[in-house]
Amino acid sequence: MRRSKLPEWFVLLLPAFIILAAVVLIPLVLSFYSSFTAYRLTRPDSINNWIGFRNYVRLFEDAGFWWAFGRTVFLLTIALNLEMLLGLGLALLVNKVTWGQRGLRTIMMFPMMFSPVLVGFQFKFIFNDNIGLMNNALQSLGLTDQAIPWLVDGGLAMFSIIFAEVWMSTSVFAILILAGLFAVPQDPLEAAKVDGCTPWQTFRHITLPFIMPFIYIALAIRSLDVARAYDIVKIMTNGGPANRTELIWTQLARTGYVDAKMGLANAMGYISIFLAIFFTVYFFRKLNASRQILGMAD
Amino acid sequence: MKKFYLSVSAAALMLSAPSALAAEFDGVELEAKLIGGEQYERLYSRIAEWEKETGASVKIISKKNHFELDKEFKSDLAAGTTSWCVGSNHSSFASQYPQLYTDLTPFLTEEFIGEYVSSNIAASKLDGKLVMLPRAQFDVSALYYQKDLFEDEDNKGKFKEEYGYDLAPAETWEQVSDQATFFTDPPNFYGTQYAGKDEAIVGRYYEMVVAEGGQLFNEDWSPAFNSEEGKRALKWFVDLYQNKSVPAGTPSYLWDDLGQGFASGNVAVNLDWPGWAGFFNDPASSKIAGNVGVVAPPKGSAGVRTGWSGHHGFSVTESCDNKEAAASLVAFLTNEDSQKLESEAGPLPTRSAVWDHVIESSKDDPYRAEVLAAFQEAASTAFPAPQTPYWIEATNLIFPQLQAAILGDKTIDEALAEAADEVDSMMKDEGVY
Amino acid sequence: MAMDINDKHRLKNRLLKAGHLIALFIAMCIICVPGLWVVVNSFRPTVEIMAKPPVWIPTEFNLDHYRAMFGAVGEGGIPVVRYFTNSLIISVTSTLIALLVGMAGGYAFARYRFKGKAAIFVGMMLTRAVPGIALSLPLFIVFARVGIIDTHFGLILAYVAMNVPFTIWLIDGFFRQVPKELAEAAEIDGCTRWQAFWKVEFPVAKAGIASAGIFAFLTSWNEYALASQLTRSVNSKTMPVGLLDFTSEFTLNWGGMSALAVVMIIPALILTFIVQKHLIAGLTFGGVKG
Repeated sequence: MRRSKLPEWFVLLLPAFIILAAVVLIPLVLSFYSSFTAYRLTRPDSINNWIGFRNYVRLFEDAGFWWAFGRTVFLLTIALNLEMLLGLGLALLVNKVTWGQRGLRTIMMFPMMFSPVLVGFQFKFIFNDNIGLMNNALQSLGLTDQAIPWLVDGGLAMFSIIFAEVWMSTSVFAILILAGLFAVPQDPLEAAKVDGCTPWQTFRHITLPFIMPFIYIALAIRSLDVARAYDIVKIMTNGGPANRTELIWTQLARTGYVDAKMGLANAMGYISIFLAIFFTVYFFRKLNASRQILGMAD
Repeated sequence: MKKFYLSVSAAALMLSAPSALAAEFDGVELEAKLIGGEQYERLYSRIAEWEKETGASVKIISKKNHFELDKEFKSDLAAGTTSWCVGSNHSSFASQYPQLYTDLTPFLTEEFIGEYVSSNIAASKLDGKLVMLPRAQFDVSALYYQKDLFEDEDNKGKFKEEYGYDLAPAETWEQVSDQATFFTDPPNFYGTQYAGKDEAIVGRYYEMVVAEGGQLFNEDWSPAFNSEEGKRALKWFVDLYQNKSVPAGTPSYLWDDLGQGFASGNVAVNLDWPGWAGFFNDPASSKIAGNVGVVAPPKGSAGVRTGWSGHHGFSVTESCDNKEAAASLVAFLTNEDSQKLESEAGPLPTRSAVWDHVIESSKDDPYRAEVLAAFQEAASTAFPAPQTPYWIEATNLIFPQLQAAILGDKTIDEALAEAADEVDSMMKDEGVY
Repeated sequence: MAMDINDKHRLKNRLLKAGHLIALFIAMCIICVPGLWVVVNSFRPTVEIMAKPPVWIPTEFNLDHYRAMFGAVGEGGIPVVRYFTNSLIISVTSTLIALLVGMAGGYAFARYRFKGKAAIFVGMMLTRAVPGIALSLPLFIVFARVGIIDTHFGLILAYVAMNVPFTIWLIDGFFRQVPKELAEAAEIDGCTRWQAFWKVEFPVAKAGIASAGIFAFLTSWNEYALASQLTRSVNSKTMPVGLLDFTSEFTLNWGGMSALAVVMIIPALILTFIVQKHLIAGLTFGGVKG
């Protein structure tokens, strides 16, 4: 049967390799090269202007860039953890429901139907201080007589962005964790009940370890495509005001497309890729460790 | 020879007369990248007419909003995919891609060019090259206000008592400041507002610096705004924000927030673009419909009106295979009939004859007449964005500093010094001086 | 006394139940309100959406935004039908291809032992970690050179690449679920490996494939950063990119945007509801075994 010299696993993986190479690797090589040049979009010849590590050196010396970097790490940490906790809570709530689960789960996934650009516009209007839904509601309920500047105040602006991001992405956690809850074996749960464990103890010692792999899978998945948040931030604050919400992605896009300095932007891109790789590999490790506990790893 | 031939064709186009030249571009296909959006697309219905007259056909290969198109043009330059012919352009962005578009002068007669408003033609040139022909989408701001506030006797009395002069639509920016403070009642009502981020706030700041008698850049493009005039201009923005006469969210506002805010009826005075005139007076979109007044933009302390302006237009690429046909299309889309059609819906024309036409035809509509009078006055003293390829990049360096001063993170002096410093090193990096 | 304890117990249970329902209700509200706000806005005149003082109880519902959107170009109309078809063709095709490629890849990871397997696996996942915004320009240049800008093919290719890592992951977990012996038994019975795959392994993996499919579909359906760079005209513009048609230099038509958003949301919602049954099962198997 085996006429081809290539191993079967390789043949099976070949389509994936080819597509990923064409769409991700080749462009990345190109942008990696250009990150060592003074490449300007509007002057295509400038890609031949090799400047070595100048772009990277400049970034390492740029305090504004490192602030943006730190803010991005902060945003990722807070948003992912919040999404995880809220997703867990949501999954537990929905899991208990015995009727109409299918509809409820669909509602739970409602925010996943929203394109990130749309979410950006939506929350920009919701958080508008003058005519936005949020302030209107708070004022109508008599909770405040102030117009709260959601998108301007340093802390609140970050909060608003995180709120939008969490609203959009908690569903992913909820649905994955819910799948985990469905898969928890019933026997140990029954046994725990008989032994007189409190619901908290049961959750802590039986349910939680079992759904940990699901949580880490969700974290890994989310940390992979978390840069989607760029679309939201771009529309809501575009890094402003006075750089209070500047993230590595908003800075990258502005440098690359508006200022047309693609060489420099690609250098930023590489640093942001390392950031994503770090988060993802970290969660992969955690995932394997939690599987080990359950005795499910390879 | 060529010039003569084209002058005839241009004349023929202007008259829209079917003639022997009818099929002069038979079989030519032009690829075009045009700006999309309700306000701009009405004009494109005329393309079919041009196709019929010339025998050429137009293929619209891209239709996006302006900022997306800008990104696309830059990407095209980078990838070398510029074989298309006609592109929408904007006077504030044109200087970023000087090699992309060709000089249109050789394809047009002097008389034809002379029919446009001369300041618009001047703003369409880069280093003497006419890189675009302006369409009837001229933008300069005028001061919109809620009429009843200024007619209210109670307001008038109190205002006079407090400030010592009569309450009337502002003639100077200092008066705007007084009125804004007077009318403000947060969180329900605000005196005024301004664009708070990106290129928008730098544009607003730029025109204020000019109105104060200063300039943003020196002749050699070194920054000139860290000056007394520059500081006075920034102080206007800072003071209004600090005494809460503008909404607290102002630093996050862009044009759409401003327009929606004014239309919601809780802002007294609003410097805004002509594109909103119809929106503000339409009961389906605005709560203050029927109560909107418009005057020319106020003056700064130097006695100069603010008047940062820009216009849309069409350009022909340098690498286009059939520049004559492309130029003919561009001329057609900006000719008298086209501009009449486009300005009918509200936008401002860039041809002298069409200005006369719209003013004449709005005689029976007092609101429209008021709008046009204000904007005509504004247009007469308008000035374009600084024409350097680094304008947009400079705005990205300046706006965070302006915001920092407005929010009180930095003093005016600190913010401007830092902004000037950054612009200076950017210009040096780019080898400008 | 015993009665008393029982009563207390019952009361406690009832309180817990009520608490659970209230918490669930609040959670669902937070999820739904911002989304429904968009839906409601699409039926309201602009003057009411951005009103202050706010209009809490809409006085007027109409289809004006929809009528304008489907209307003539230049009067608020946009080519919705073209955008919708583009979105549909691109999302469905890219999802199907991603599933096929993912099945092949997942099978390879689940059934074969080879050198550097873990590294290859993580490497594949990491291709997804490249931010769209960092990838969009180099990708554009490559695509422009090949000549597939503004085509369905170009965008499909990009989305397949985006979705393959995740589909491989989920499907891989699934195939591991099927005992190797089962497939081997089928082979002994005279099936080829190919037949054994379709008869034994594929049916078990169906739920996983469905859930990978819905994730892939939603990702493609909503993607903006790459689409805005790789599409240009009605030939290939998808609905998320079409949303920006409602913005111009100075204005933004939020009502119209909401109307298009509703057209985007409803098919995705229906699809999710249909696939819901398989979704949970799919994710369960795919997740635990790595």
